[in-house]
Amino acid sequence: MDIVVKKIVAEVKKGNQDAFAELMDLYKDKVYHIAYRMLGNSHEAQDVAQEAFLRAYTNIDSYDTNRKFSTWIFRIATNLSIDRIRKKKPDFHLEDQVAGTEDLDYHSQFAADEDLPEDQVVQLEMQEWVQQEIMELPPKYRSAIILKYIEDLSLKEISEILNLPVATVKTRIHRGREALRKRLR
Amino acid sequence: MACSKETITLIHRYLDEELTSTEAKALEAHVASCPSCSEHLKELQRTVAIVQSSSHFKAPENLTANVMKQLPKQAQRKKWQH
Repeated sequence: MDIVVKKIVAEVKKGNQDAFAELMDLYKDKVYHIAYRMLGNSHEAQDVAQEAFLRAYTNIDSYDTNRKFSTWIFRIATNLSIDRIRKKKPDFHLEDQVAGTEDLDYHSQFAADEDLPEDQVVQLEMQEWVQQEIMELPPKYRSAIILKYIEDLSLKEISEILNLPVATVKTRIHRGREALRKRLR
Repeated sequence: MACSKETITLIHRYLDEELTSTEAKALEAHVASCPSCSEHLKELQRTVAIVQSSSHFKAPENLTANVMKQLPKQAQRKKWQH
């Protein structure tokens, strides 16, 4: 593991909270991003990312420093996201009304007030479309596809994050890719 | 007519670069002569490219601060007295 990260983790294990803030700064973007891709909602993604770091802090003694810290924290975040998806009923849709509002759907949470240049609008619509299609995947395929194609992780690392044999990860990627192909064509 | 399930599995393994060069060449030859498999492979490649084009973004500004607020109170350690 990265020597700098190792030093910071050693400080955290001693109870140094400032060191933990440094550790968060290194990983918060990726952790948040994974949660966002899994949940498709910025509010829930922030919730899950924060919870993941809180759990990492309280369980830091059980973290094995011979392994990558990223694998450990991504695993916590992925598990929390999957728990969240399981509890969530019915499925979340962008067209749903935001709780406590009369006429806002979730699209409004993405849209900026100011006018965007045409190409940025197209880009944003494209991004929303891809995210919506990813959200239609069953969570077990969704996590494999996100870690492989959006986070660009190796099969070995994905298998450690998901705690599954590499062969199973491959199968999930195949099936996820096949399901997305049908939706994105 | 759609090709067999086995061929589709081969296409996926091809995308994952898991075929031997002999297997890969055989599949390429098949794809070149089979419009349905050729279309399937193209769609999968396009799917991967679309997903890979997803943009990355940063965590909200207040994320670290929110977590720090919730950490158990730090014992009054004699900080930085080396």
